[in-house]
Amino acid sequence: MSSGVRTRASSRANAFADERSRVSGANGSFRSGTADAKNAEPQLGANESNKRSSPGHARERLGKERRFEERKVIERSFEAHVERVTSRTASPAKQEQQRRAQQQAEMRPAEMRRQKSSTELRPRDVRAETPPVVWNPEASLLPHTSAALASRISIPPIAFAIPFAPQPKPLNELTLEAQEAAIVEDLLYVFMGYEGQYIRYARGYSPNEERDRLSGPPFRILPGLDPSLHDLTKSMLKMATYYSALEAFVDVQSREEFGAVNHALCASVRKCLQDYLVMIAQLETQFLTSESFTVHVLNIHTLPTCQMLSHLYAMAQELLKKNALLDDESDEEDDDEIDDYDKVLERLAEGGELVPGSSKALKVCKGGSVLGLLASRLESMGGDPAARSLLTTLLRDASRPYMKMLNEWLHHGSIHDPHAEFMIREQKSIGRERLERDYIDEYWERRYTIRDQDVPPQLEGVKEKVLLAGKYLNVVRECGGVDVSKIVTELPTSFDDKRFIENVNNAYAHANESLMQLLLTTHELPLRLRSLKHYFFLDPSDSFSYFLELGSSELRKPAKSVNTSKLQSLLDLVLRQPGTVASLDPFKEDVKVEMNEITLINNLQRVVNITGIESGQVMQPVTNQQPIEPDKNATGFTSLQLDYSVPFPVSLVISRKTVWRYQALFRFLLHLRYLESQLSSTWQSHTGAVTWSHKGPNRELEALKRRTWTLRGRMLVYIQQVLYFCTAEVIEPNWTKFMSRLKAKDEMSDKPSGFNRTVDELMQDHVDFLDTCLKECMLTNSKLLKVNSKLMQACAIFSQYTNFVTREIEKIDPDLSSGIKPDTMTHDQWQRFQTTKVPSSRSTSAQNDASTVDDTEARMNHLSDIVRKWESNFGRHMKILSDSLNHYAATETVVLLSLCARLSSVNQGTEWAAIGAEEDDQP
Amino acid sequence: MPREIITIQAGQCGNSIGSQFWQQLCQEHGISQDGNLEDFATEGGDRKDVFYYQSDDTRYIPRAILIDLEPRVLNSIQTGPYRNIYNPENFYVGKNGMGAANNWGDGYQSGEAVYEDVMEMIDREADGSDSLEGFMMLHSIAGGTGSGLGSFLLERLNDRFPKKIIQTYSVFPNTTNAPDVVVHPYNSILSMRRLTQNADSVVVLDNGALSHIAADRLHVQEPSFQQTNQLVATVMSASTTTLRYPGYMHNDLVSILASLIPTPRCHFLMTAYTPFTGDQVEQAKTVRKTTVLDVMRRLLQPKNRMVSTVPGKKSCYISILNVIQGEVDPTDVHKSLLRIRERKLATFIPWGPASIQVALTKRSPYMPMSHRVSGLMLANHTSIATLFKRILKQYDGMRKRNAFIEGYKKTAPFSENLDEFDEARQVVSDLVMEYEAAEDADYLNPDNGDKATSAETDRRMA
Repeated sequence: MSSGVRTRASSRANAFADERSRVSGANGSFRSGTADAKNAEPQLGANESNKRSSPGHARERLGKERRFEERKVIERSFEAHVERVTSRTASPAKQEQQRRAQQQAEMRPAEMRRQKSSTELRPRDVRAETPPVVWNPEASLLPHTSAALASRISIPPIAFAIPFAPQPKPLNELTLEAQEAAIVEDLLYVFMGYEGQYIRYARGYSPNEERDRLSGPPFRILPGLDPSLHDLTKSMLKMATYYSALEAFVDVQSREEFGAVNHALCASVRKCLQDYLVMIAQLETQFLTSESFTVHVLNIHTLPTCQMLSHLYAMAQELLKKNALLDDESDEEDDDEIDDYDKVLERLAEGGELVPGSSKALKVCKGGSVLGLLASRLESMGGDPAARSLLTTLLRDASRPYMKMLNEWLHHGSIHDPHAEFMIREQKSIGRERLERDYIDEYWERRYTIRDQDVPPQLEGVKEKVLLAGKYLNVVRECGGVDVSKIVTELPTSFDDKRFIENVNNAYAHANESLMQLLLTTHELPLRLRSLKHYFFLDPSDSFSYFLELGSSELRKPAKSVNTSKLQSLLDLVLRQPGTVASLDPFKEDVKVEMNEITLINNLQRVVNITGIESGQVMQPVTNQQPIEPDKNATGFTSLQLDYSVPFPVSLVISRKTVWRYQALFRFLLHLRYLESQLSSTWQSHTGAVTWSHKGPNRELEALKRRTWTLRGRMLVYIQQVLYFCTAEVIEPNWTKFMSRLKAKDEMSDKPSGFNRTVDELMQDHVDFLDTCLKECMLTNSKLLKVNSKLMQACAIFSQYTNFVTREIEKIDPDLSSGIKPDTMTHDQWQRFQTTKVPSSRSTSAQNDASTVDDTEARMNHLSDIVRKWESNFGRHMKILSDSLNHYAATETVVLLSLCARLSSVNQGTEWAAIGAEEDDQP
Repeated sequence: MPREIITIQAGQCGNSIGSQFWQQLCQEHGISQDGNLEDFATEGGDRKDVFYYQSDDTRYIPRAILIDLEPRVLNSIQTGPYRNIYNPENFYVGKNGMGAANNWGDGYQSGEAVYEDVMEMIDREADGSDSLEGFMMLHSIAGGTGSGLGSFLLERLNDRFPKKIIQTYSVFPNTTNAPDVVVHPYNSILSMRRLTQNADSVVVLDNGALSHIAADRLHVQEPSFQQTNQLVATVMSASTTTLRYPGYMHNDLVSILASLIPTPRCHFLMTAYTPFTGDQVEQAKTVRKTTVLDVMRRLLQPKNRMVSTVPGKKSCYISILNVIQGEVDPTDVHKSLLRIRERKLATFIPWGPASIQVALTKRSPYMPMSHRVSGLMLANHTSIATLFKRILKQYDGMRKRNAFIEGYKKTAPFSENLDEFDEARQVVSDLVMEYEAAEDADYLNPDNGDKATSAETDRRMA
């Protein structure tokens, strides 16, 4: 017999055959059956599945229960025509049901649904009345499921469903000893998940219903058993229920979609069940060989196992509920409340979904949450040594595949996660190619993310570290491989390992160090940054001003017609010049010239105006939305922009969004510098040209010259002070701060233990540095931007019209417009002046001789007006700037105070002089 | 390379200063006496190409042209320790080796003779540079060669390179004590006309002030020329640090001068340097504390100025540029500026922007300095007119008596008449008037100034 048990354990198909033979052996010649029963069985199954769909099913169950009781009577009396009797006895119940349903339908329209469901029952009842067919049980091979080890044998029919089933001798006809022997034998079957002769599945259990199988079959004992035996048996039946449920659990949960952790858990559970079956086999041997083997003995032997199974069962149930394969108890309760119509209505309103579970069918509990569940159970069962050791084993086994993934991630930076159960989600679609136009750090932020729900509680505290460790390593790997030699060989394989957290920390430290090493040493990040500073902040600007000078003919053109490739070659030429600081820069190849036709001010205005987006996004350019009309007046100088291509790992730190910030600062500085050089060249013509240096007799004109010079002086002071402020007081100190933080990291990395700075912090530092610079350079405040742009425009216009003013002065000054050398001028000067004079002005000067004094006067007044207009325009905006700087220095950015002080004197001597500031000075 | 500057040294004084200057630059850039880079000079970050170019054997050669009419000083340079750095083709010694005998006319007339040769040198140097920014002339205006030939060259340079900037470092004679050259007022006035009309910027170095500073600061009773020259060289090297150690700003001569010289006529700059210590000049006592404020305050003290002037009540700054070298925290600069404003250490013109510009630069890594910060002030101050006035007065005194006029009459510019003298005097007195006008609040509106004057003079005390 023990060999028979072993076969049963391995295959239930055999067991079924065995059972049949056993049934026949015990009861003689009851071998015939009807096909009717076979037909009825799936119907019953269908009905069962209906059962939960209707809130009214409870009542139906009531009716069914009644039927079952009647059937019991029939069985006891060996009535052959079970079906007939059943249907006959069932019909009154059905009629009563109908009647009541009608009554209720009249009362409440909301009950229509219930009525419908009860009418749906009718066909089954009707079909049950059809004449019985021959019983021909068949075992078939079920198709493959994704669970490799799941049983593929079709489920045997339930005993009571078999018509003309051979019924064992009623218990009450047996002696106590016979009863005990029968019941022990039955129990041994039942323990393995089959029905016995006297112990059957409880009514209402359907093996075809997955839900029923998962929650385990309830058993009932045929009446007539001696009460003492009955009680004992009943207490042991729990274990059988657990076992069957666990069998089903293993079958279901080892399907592919539940992931490796569930598979491992199932394997572990299966191992427990194996032990269990061995124990059953041993018990059977004892039963067969030992005279003294009683129900009591059996009970004592099974007690600890029962405990174990109950823990497993509880765990399985919880897991299944989380998986939505079983209903939560709360749902169960809902179903039982027949009269809770409101809830029904509510559900209907929610979308007519009356099947609980299906609405959350997609909920799958796998991976980290399984481990989390195990861990939390372990925690709550901590006081029970048996349960603890059991759950510890389960946890250890189940966490193995997870740890494998974790180790792979922590030490290689790669994810092998076909079931999407690991705590880190990888989005393969976000490749590093996109870094080129990635303005929102998508690659870094989105490529790997934490599945927050699926983080096992053991890892909750270090999940950021886990994420970063792998992320860093991933980068290192993509840049040429992880240094395998350094990798720890002895890795913890499961969660209960003591070194578990230590492993994470070590891996994190190692990854951080590797990436830092990669960035700072291999890819020379500090040098990169210095080179960026050199190109974008024009420090030192010598080579760039040479470039501007060489390219000035090209840059003067409208932005549209600028030949970018020509500029590029000029830039390359300049950067390769020996002797400049740039020529030593190893990254000069990466600088590219481009044209941006949207003026900086417009560009920034647009960015500044985007408010209400979360704070981190404020500074991001919205490239795709409503492109602003390119500025028609944009020349090469105002549109010039540098781009910097960064190779992969460094591009994480110097990402597009930081390059954008660099560009914004660059364009601002460039603009200032361009204006400075424009004003300088104006200075040169004011200084060099005879027109200006000649002291004519016209006093009014002399005053005008002085005013023009002074206006130029004011503008130059403004430009130079802003430039000084932005470079020496904003960029340089912030840069030093940023660099010292970077250095601090450098020193840290020498000591293996001291990793308190991460690559992410480094990236954040970098962005912060740039944002601070932008803010303190007044580029993030729309009002300051506007005023500054007005002032710069005024400067630009002034320098543009230098030549015009020079010509006008030539025409007005009688000494110059006449063709005769004035006494105050040397011969050389006069000659020089004559050559610089444009031929056209020569002709007008001839006219001028003839023209009246009025004409000269009109010109004078006109010119004077123009200069006055420039003066007032500049002065007024300067005043606005001073005032708003004062305001913002007090409210937002303290640094601006220094600029304020610097600019306070620009308006000195005009009507817009900062009176307030002057008053402060007076003691 | 970009923004080159060609240095022209004319006359005894110019060449002596020049050789001192090149020595200083070589030391700062780590260039050895034969023109090669020293082994330790690896730091980079400096631009040698503004003042040097590299020969085929990678030696650094100064863009300098050395002109004198008598061979003494040039000979000493050619036999001195730094003889090998200069391009031998760039030496010009007067054919007869007679010098100009402290006569402006002599020097000026010999200009015609040397013109071809000198211009050829200048053209060669100009062609050898990618984008020539301008010329720097070193000379004295009291003697013959520096003033006379210098004036001639200024005129011609201005003609030939009208777009290039001409800056001069002009050593003015000692006007307070016994002069080295008796006829210096004549020479000075005649030179000043060219400085006014043909130079874009003149850095005035007053021999009187120089020896005063040397005596006072260095505790030397009778400072030698070498010591005063070293002062000048220090000032020159400091004023060009922003060009040689480029930072964010003031990387070319124009941007420095444009802010310093708002009105073209007032382009005479005075300088101050602190601290002078044994590093630049031997026997100098150490200044104990060098904070930014300390340096900036010292720079504003008249006794540190290298021009002896007698500031009047109305004298004021037109503009100031402080070149601060060393490790400087920008916030210190800001604080110092505020302090200077609070204490009213500097009075500015009432009609224009009154700002002290600051340029922060690196210091040569090869020259150990005992102090943390050093500073140079380039200032445009109206009191410089008093120096001119003094020269005018001395000139008038001599001219009235036509003293020593005979020597001049023999030279070409005065062969016909002495109009040149009168024209030059006119130009200089106009210059003085321009400076005096700039002290007035109604400089911009000289005709209707009266109404605004009172209010604006109240306000001018910045």
